[in-house]
Amino acid sequence: MAVTSSVPLVWYLIVSAVMFAIGALGVLMRRNPLVIFMSIELMLNAVNLSFVAFSRFLDTADGQMFVFLVLTVAAAEVVVGLALIVSIFRTRRDIDVDDMNMLRG
Amino acid sequence: MVNLGLWVLIWPLLGFIILGLLGRVLTRGGILRVAWGACGLSFLFALFNFLSMLGVAPAARSSDVTVYNWIVSSTLQVNFGLLYDPLTAIMLLVVTGVGLLIHIYSAGYMEGDPSFWRFFAYLNFFIFSMVLLVVANNFLFLLMGWGLVGLASFLLIGFWYQRSAPVAAAQKAFVVNVIGDLGLMLAIFLLFINYGSLNYQDVFSDVHKVAAGSATATAIALLLFVACAAKSAQLPLYMWLPDAMEGPTPVSALIHAATMVTAGVYLVARAHLLFANAPVALYVVAGIGGATALFAATIALFQLDIKRVLAYSTISQLGYMFMAEGVGNYTSGIFHLTTHAYFKALLFLGAGAIIHALAGEQDMRKMGGLRQRLPITFWTFLIATLAISGLPPFSGFWSKDSILGAALQEAVVTGNRWFYVLWGVGILTAGLTAFYMFRLFFGVFLGNYRGATVVPARRTEEEEDEDEQEESAGHGHGGPVGYYDIHEVPAVMSMPLVILAILSVIGGFLGFVWNPLNGFLSPVLEASETPLNIDLISTAVSVAVALVGILVAWRLYRKGFVYKENNNLLYQLVFHKYYVDEMCNMILIKPILGIGRLIGTGFIEGSVLDSGSRGLARVFREISVLLRRLQTGYMRNYALVILLGAVLIVIYYAVRG
Repeated sequence: MAVTSSVPLVWYLIVSAVMFAIGALGVLMRRNPLVIFMSIELMLNAVNLSFVAFSRFLDTADGQMFVFLVLTVAAAEVVVGLALIVSIFRTRRDIDVDDMNMLRG
Repeated sequence: MVNLGLWVLIWPLLGFIILGLLGRVLTRGGILRVAWGACGLSFLFALFNFLSMLGVAPAARSSDVTVYNWIVSSTLQVNFGLLYDPLTAIMLLVVTGVGLLIHIYSAGYMEGDPSFWRFFAYLNFFIFSMVLLVVANNFLFLLMGWGLVGLASFLLIGFWYQRSAPVAAAQKAFVVNVIGDLGLMLAIFLLFINYGSLNYQDVFSDVHKVAAGSATATAIALLLFVACAAKSAQLPLYMWLPDAMEGPTPVSALIHAATMVTAGVYLVARAHLLFANAPVALYVVAGIGGATALFAATIALFQLDIKRVLAYSTISQLGYMFMAEGVGNYTSGIFHLTTHAYFKALLFLGAGAIIHALAGEQDMRKMGGLRQRLPITFWTFLIATLAISGLPPFSGFWSKDSILGAALQEAVVTGNRWFYVLWGVGILTAGLTAFYMFRLFFGVFLGNYRGATVVPARRTEEEEDEDEQEESAGHGHGGPVGYYDIHEVPAVMSMPLVILAILSVIGGFLGFVWNPLNGFLSPVLEASETPLNIDLISTAVSVAVALVGILVAWRLYRKGFVYKENNNLLYQLVFHKYYVDEMCNMILIKPILGIGRLIGTGFIEGSVLDSGSRGLARVFREISVLLRRLQTGYMRNYALVILLGAVLIVIYYAVRG
């Protein structure tokens, strides 16, 4: 192994997995779309963390490039998502996701 | 020799396009200028080509040019080509010449009709189609012309579509004609299979590729004859022609007397090598021709509508033409076609003049005594009546007697007694023709005018409804016209009558003694001479019989036409046209309608189709009720499903390694 480190890879992965799980549970359980967005960001950054960790341990730049890609997409997604939330709030005066069920079968 | 077929063809087409697109905005004079111009130029080119044909040796009088390669696909090659030979020349002169006269006449007859421009657009379209039919050099373009003249006929019969009778008549004509078109198509398929080409030249130069008298040869000829019988109103496909009289009278004269209905006669003459290759088919042609001639003549005896008499007379005369072709004397058939075009067009135009003068009256019971009021019509009508009755020296005499002579000659040569029967039928028909034509003539022109006095016959409610609608279209009844209000038709209508009368007198000299027509057509149709003694016997008998017919008519009707109810069984049978229409209704139309109703409302539509489609719809509805439960509308449910899916995928890859 080219890089010697005091912190082993597994720890990073554990932190990443925990962050991802917190994010996923947040998406599933919270009703405020802003919080859901934050949870999604948490999931994305959990993945970013594991990318960076792998990149460091495998000694390649590929993972870091992916992180930039993910950051860009996440930023774009937040723009669209916030715009949606604003316009939903303007029409309904309420943004509880459980009340948005007009497409129910 | 030049070949101007394309020029004859193109003018009426241009006229049709111009009138069809701009007719609505053109003035009356503009419409006439376009329509007459198109037809007139066409006639001039046909005439010029005919004259240039006379200038070359008989053997060189045929020109076959290809204008356009339409379809080229290995063995199938279809070209648009023009065949110009003596037969084409004669047909084109008749079509464009009589067509031009009728274009002129129509200007007077259709005066004041709100659809003036539409009428002339259709007429030009008809001339174009008919010219296409005649100048085509292969069977496919013949079929195209064949179908297009049928369409033109449909459009013109139904010209006054605001009334129900013309619409029904137009549909009837179209349906019967399509039966013929089907026959022609099947014949073309057989020709292509057996000859590998559709060009006249290829087929006719190699006609014995199919053994003479074989089943295939007979089938080809008979299928062609089915087409001819439908187009030329022969038994058993004649029913549409009497009904076609619902169209304007110039149309009856042009399409249903002079030109379109003779297309069948033309086709038999054009394809005579194919018929000669199938003797059985020729017997059929002769038999059907003779039977139709007699059958239609008997119906014409007691009809009361002036145009119906002429319609049945047309069917009968077409029967004569087929009779001539059936005994192998094609020249006589074409000869009678030509003279018939003159005198029958004249008869119809004369009838049109009478109808016009009487404000739409067609019932002969309400005519009579018109001699003093319509002198030009009287004299021209007399000439045409003499011509159709076959009295010398009028044109009908020469052509009819060359047909009868040919039939007798065939009987003498072959010794087949059926040909004697055919000749006898022809003679009998000649007598009947003279009788019913003079019945019509005396009834209309002699005696006293009955228009204002006759009490209307029993009328059904349906007829009264029709009369109400009639006000809006056609030559509506303006009530009976007073005798002194009847006026001779304007010059634009009487001039064509006079020209046709002159042609009806001199037209016969085409076949006079040394027979120039025979010589002219000989490059196409082999000349057939009837020995003089046989000709004389036949002529003497037929003229005698015709005179008897005229005498009987004179005794019965010289004081004008008196209608008496007659309950004689035979009379009723003939008066009701042998109940053919009623039988058709019973045998064909009622059952087909019944089956349609059964399908429409009964078992199939109700139990099979309806329940089937309803059942299918229910299956889908049930499935969708189940599926819609998945759509809860709670976003977090969807997110959970997505997550579970992702987890499943991860597990799958983790387990697979």
